Amino acid sequence: MSLEIQDSEFDIVIAALQPNLTTFFEAWRPFFSRFHIIVVKDPDLAEELQIPTGFDVKVYTKSDMGVLGATSIDFSGHSCRYFGYLVSRKKYVISIDDNCLPAKDNGGLIVDAVSQHMSNLKTPATPFFFNTLYDPFRKGADFVRGYPFSLREGVECMLSCGLWLHNADYDPMTHVVKRNQRNTTYVDAVMTVPIGAIMPVSGINVAFNREVLGPVMFPALRLRKDGKHRWDTLEDIWNGLCAKVVCDRLGYGVKTGLPYVIRSDAEAGKALESLKEWEGVKVMDDVLPFFQSVKLSTTATTVEDCVKELASIVKEKLGPQNAIFAKAADAMEEWAKLWESHGAQSS
Amino acid sequence: MAAVPSTPLLKDELDIVIPTIRNLDFLEMWRPFFQPYHLIIVQDGDPSKIIRVPEGFDYELYNRNDINRILGPKASCISFKDSACRCFGYMVSKKKYIYTIDDDCFVAKDPSGKDINALEQHIKNLLSPSTPYFFNTLYDPYRDGADFVRGYPFSLREGAPTAVSHGLWLNIPDYDAPTQLVKPLERNSRYVDAVLTIPKGTLFPMCGMNLAFDRELIGPAMYFGLMGDGQPIGRYDDMWAGWCTKVITDHLGLGVKTGLPYIWHSKASNPFVNLKKEYNGIFWQEELIPFFQSVALPKEATTVQKCYLELAKQVAAKLGKVDCYFNKLADSMVTWIEAWDELNPPKGVVAAENDPAKSK
Repeated sequence: MSLEIQDSEFDIVIAALQPNLTTFFEAWRPFFSRFHIIVVKDPDLAEELQIPTGFDVKVYTKSDMGVLGATSIDFSGHSCRYFGYLVSRKKYVISIDDNCLPAKDNGGLIVDAVSQHMSNLKTPATPFFFNTLYDPFRKGADFVRGYPFSLREGVECMLSCGLWLHNADYDPMTHVVKRNQRNTTYVDAVMTVPIGAIMPVSGINVAFNREVLGPVMFPALRLRKDGKHRWDTLEDIWNGLCAKVVCDRLGYGVKTGLPYVIRSDAEAGKALESLKEWEGVKVMDDVLPFFQSVKLSTTATTVEDCVKELASIVKEKLGPQNAIFAKAADAMEEWAKLWESHGAQSS
Repeated sequence: MAAVPSTPLLKDELDIVIPTIRNLDFLEMWRPFFQPYHLIIVQDGDPSKIIRVPEGFDYELYNRNDINRILGPKASCISFKDSACRCFGYMVSKKKYIYTIDDDCFVAKDPSGKDINALEQHIKNLLSPSTPYFFNTLYDPYRDGADFVRGYPFSLREGAPTAVSHGLWLNIPDYDAPTQLVKPLERNSRYVDAVLTIPKGTLFPMCGMNLAFDRELIGPAMYFGLMGDGQPIGRYDDMWAGWCTKVITDHLGLGVKTGLPYIWHSKASNPFVNLKKEYNGIFWQEELIPFFQSVALPKEATTVQKCYLELAKQVAAKLGKVDCYFNKLADSMVTWIEAWDELNPPKGVVAAENDPAKSK
C-alpha cells in the first residue's frame, strides 16, 4: 500500500531571505544532512549567504536565474524558492522557510519534519470520504465503521501541507489584533483535505511530488506591494488553490496537519506597517466565488492541460476584475512554458 | 489579557438521551458532569425489566410499551433491539440541544491527566460557528489560541451556525466488524487536540456514541432508521442519520464539527455478532454513498422536515432497487417526520393528545 520512496528521490529547497543561515542549518542538520539541498538566494538580498559546511548544498543566485532567459516571472522574495523547483531534478521536494526550526512534539521529542512529509507522500490520501480518526494509514489508526470499503485504497498523495507552532501563518490584520497570540497547540494528526474543499496552502512548510505537480507549483499571483514578510504575500495561497483544483480534477490527494515546525516571530511586530497598503484584504474574497465554482473539463487529463485550462479561465473570469489576476494568468502560462523547457526532467 | 469566559451550562436547554438495555451504572462516573441535566432514558428490549437509574438524576424513562402508547401505529418507525431506538428520545425532548452517549462510554482523561468534561466541549462546539465553506488549516478558528489563517477569506469569517458536534473515542475505536476481527487488539491512544468543521459536500461516518446536536436546527434529520429485530441490517443507524443530516446541513447552510471531546469507550462488542449485523450494510453502503453524494435538494426545501421528506422520496425512487428494505425505510422516514411534527408542533399550537409531558 505504501510507496517505496528513497532519500535520493528528494530535494530540500530553501529560499534564503536572510543571509545568515547558520542557526537554521545547524538546527536542521540531523534531518537535512542526508539529502541534496538547493538554496535559492532572494535576488533582492545583497549580502553573502552564510551556510555551515557538511551539507550537500547547491546555492543558486540571481545570476543563475539568467539561464531562464527573459521571463515575466518575478522570483524575488518568497517567490525565489520556485526557481529551486525548476532546477531540481528530483521526484519530490520539501520546502521550509528559513525562519523555521524543528519543533518538539507533545512528548518533548524533536520532530523530523522531513520524514513526516515523506510519510505523508508515501501513504495514500483519502479525499472521497472523511475518516473521523484522520489518517487511516497512521500506526494505531484505521478506517472507522461506516467508511466504504471501495474507498479504502485511497489515492496517491501529491501535496503535504505542514503547520507551524509559535508564530502561526496569519494575515497582517490578525497579527496586529492578536499580537500576543502564539500557536501552542500541537495537533497530532494528518488528514486528507476532502475533494471539493478549498483550502489556503501556506508555503512555509510544504512537500510535494514535483514530477507530477511541478507545472502547477508556480509563483503567479503577486500583490501590488508584495513584501518580504509572509503576510505581505499570497503567492503560495494562490498556488495552493490552483493545485487543489488540479488534484481534485485528476484524483490526487492533498494532506494537511503534521509535521509542525516552530516559526520564529522576528517579523511579528511589523504587521501594522503592512496594513497601510495591504491589498490582500479583498483578494481572497474576490477569488472565492471563482474557486467555489471552477470546473475543469474532463479532457484535461494531465497537470499541464489543467494548468493551461485554468489559466485561460482565470484570464477570462478574474482578469477583468483586477489586473493582478490577468497577470497571474499570464504567469501561469509562462510557468508552463518554463516548466517544459527547464523543469520537466527528473534524474 | 481578557479573562476566558466560562462555558454556559445550558442545563435547562439540553437533554441527555441514553439508550440502554442493561443498566445505567456508567452514570455514576459521569455524575459530576451530568447531574445538572435532565436525562431521557430510552429502554430497549424487554419492557418488563426494571432499569435502575442512580439516585439524584432528574430523568424520564421510556420503554417499548411507552413508545407504542405514545406513537401508536407510528411506533413502527422506532427500532427494537437496537440502540437506534434512541432517536425516540430526540423526538420527545422539549429542549434545544441533545447530547447522546452510549452506556459503555466513560469519562476520558486528557494528556495532562485531567478528566474531560465532554458535555462542556460539545456545548462549546455547538455555541461557536462552523466553517464549512473553506478549510481552515489551524482547525476550529473559534477555539482559544487559534484563528483563521492567512488566505482565509474575510467574508467567511463569521461562519455558519453549528448543528452537530461529533465527538471521538479513546480506547476501543469505532471500527467495523472486519477491522475488529483483523485488529482485535488495536486501541485508540492518540489524543488529537482539534475540533474541525467537515467541509460542505463531504460525507463522513457519524458515530452516535458521543454526539451532540442542536435539535431546533437539525432534529428531524436525526432519525436512526430501521435496525435490529426483524430488520436485515444493524450498526448502520447512526451512519444513516449522519449521511441524511450532512446532506441537509449542507443544503441549509449549517455546520457539522468533529473531533474533541473524547470519551473512553470501554466495551468492544462481539465482532462475529457485528459482522452478521453489518453484512448487508457493507455491500449496500457502496450504493448508498454515491446516492448521498449526488442527492440534490430543491431550493423550495427550506426546512429540515421538507428536506427530509424529499430525501425519503429519493430513497424510495433510487434505492428501492438495491433492496426492498429501502422502500420500508423510506416509508418509516415519512412516519418519523409525521410523528416528529405531531409531538413537536410549531410554538403556539397545542400539543397532541398523546403528548408524553401530559401523561407522565
